[in-house]
Amino acid sequence: MGNNNNIYKPIRAKLTNVIEESALIKTFCLTPEQDFEFKTGQFIEVSVDGIGEAPFTPSSSPLVKEKLEVTVMKTGYVTEYMHNLKPGALMGIRGPFGRGYPVDKFHDKEVLILGGGCGFAPIRSLLYNLIAISDKLRKVTLCYGSKTPEDCIYKPYISVLRQTPKFEVHRSVDKASGDWSERVGVVTILLDDVKVDIKNSVAVVCGPPVMMKFGTRKLLEMGYPEHDIYLSMEKNMSCGLGKCGHCMMGKYFVCKDGPVFTYDEIKDQPNIWD
Amino acid sequence: MQYRSIKKEEWDQFLGELINTHIVYANVADEFGEDYELLRSGHISNIAYNKPKPATSLKSFFLPVRENVTSEISTGRKRVIIGAPNCDIEGLSILDEIYLDKDFEDPFYRTRRENTLLISSDCFGTQEHCHCLSYGIRPYSLSKSDLAVICMDGTIIFRVISAKGEEFLNMMPGAGLLNDTNIIKAIEDKQKETESILTEANKGLPDYSRTGKIVAEAKQDIWEKYSARCVSCGACATICPTCTCFLLIDKPGFEKVKQLDACQYPGFERTAGGEDSLHKLHDRFRNRYMCKYVWKPQKFNSIACTGCGRCIEACIGKINKNELFREFA
Repeated sequence: MGNNNNIYKPIRAKLTNVIEESALIKTFCLTPEQDFEFKTGQFIEVSVDGIGEAPFTPSSSPLVKEKLEVTVMKTGYVTEYMHNLKPGALMGIRGPFGRGYPVDKFHDKEVLILGGGCGFAPIRSLLYNLIAISDKLRKVTLCYGSKTPEDCIYKPYISVLRQTPKFEVHRSVDKASGDWSERVGVVTILLDDVKVDIKNSVAVVCGPPVMMKFGTRKLLEMGYPEHDIYLSMEKNMSCGLGKCGHCMMGKYFVCKDGPVFTYDEIKDQPNIWD
Repeated sequence: MQYRSIKKEEWDQFLGELINTHIVYANVADEFGEDYELLRSGHISNIAYNKPKPATSLKSFFLPVRENVTSEISTGRKRVIIGAPNCDIEGLSILDEIYLDKDFEDPFYRTRRENTLLISSDCFGTQEHCHCLSYGIRPYSLSKSDLAVICMDGTIIFRVISAKGEEFLNMMPGAGLLNDTNIIKAIEDKQKETESILTEANKGLPDYSRTGKIVAEAKQDIWEKYSARCVSCGACATICPTCTCFLLIDKPGFEKVKQLDACQYPGFERTAGGEDSLHKLHDRFRNRYMCKYVWKPQKFNSIACTGCGRCIEACIGKINKNELFREFA
């Protein structure tokens, strides 16, 4: 919560770099005015001075304390302003908030990750974490889908992952163009290509709601138990503190009880996919 | 429980001095009814004792409609609130659960709670929509406030509830122990009488242990029927002693203003991507009931309704939630 006791007060963070990932997605590299720790999958509230605040799960490594990155799709009022910011700008951050990925529970297991679009952002943070503990994991399989090859983000990181022992990457696009040589179709088709030992595996899903819905359905069909499917839920997390009520999903405040839930925790709650 | 009493003239005189050192609010009667007023010497004789709820709920003293939450927290003068009905006192429990949550304590709320002495009022008689007893809440406070005040035959009587309340009474040399069992019995008789009125007036309402099931099982056509006259004005949530949702608004200099919000407003749950699970009016309408009678009980083990009936009074569409509950009782 920074160096103040006021839960509403952001700490300042300097925007040091902006990386253009795709036409609509940019990664913002921030250096907070003080060390800032988070667990992978937790989120932070990022504010543009005088404009607004929005929740993002850092896409950078949770092992790095002096800087962090958020990957943001231009999709609303605050993100539009963010996309216009230049390095040197001061931003505000509050957090970290909520419950992230329980990485300790992944020990001795295979991790199957299903991601779509900008949902790769939290996943990249998780992958950084998993690489650091890869000696404790059996295998990590990433299935990532985007609309077109141009919309694929973190291209250099994909190359790194493909050269990392125990890590496997499958990609698909809804619509191919140029020299795309990987799969074409919705991201769930990638699950037909992977070989997983489901009994010794957990699945992680992060992406747009419709992808989460069909991805979860497919994983259940494959035989994944409901308690081994980890979902990073997206709601209107406004305060991050379990107070303002905007992210209520049944009995849960997604900001405080989540944003990472297992499917069995939330399957009976209303409107989980919209 | 210990009672103390003081002559009304002495109490009034004490209040006249108290307003110089404390911020004192009291339930004051005027030609429009009863509501909290910042107490000034001219109001003291108009304080409404033994009356059911003031128009405004107690939450407004702890969760202002709008406040800058990045400003400095100042304690200022101590505050005394006189005349809070027990429905509102019980409603503070939900506010405490949320705002004094050990993980993220709201420092503004904490300061106001600690800085305030709560003098509740026994309700002798009811208003049209009072139904606290249906939610297991009595029309008089035995806990959670600091003192309860009763006015009888020119005497002000205090039921001592907390140590903070007792300490306050020690500031009043005239407030001696009340041992007259006839007076105490007269108070208890009045309490029972009010409970009888409430029981009679609220016949047909389901027991509070059943409201959650009724709400959870109600089908869409029920919500469409009861929301037909809703105009999403949010008055029900604004006036409710337990509705606490808010919006954070950014101001230049990384300042944040917290403003009371309501799930009845369109766009309450909308995300930047456009997903909005409460897009439809009947879904927003249902959401409030689900929150109060199903989800809050699951989360905090307590229904988020105190039976104050203000939402019924405030509704410009004349939607009466008790009609819904009566239909399914």
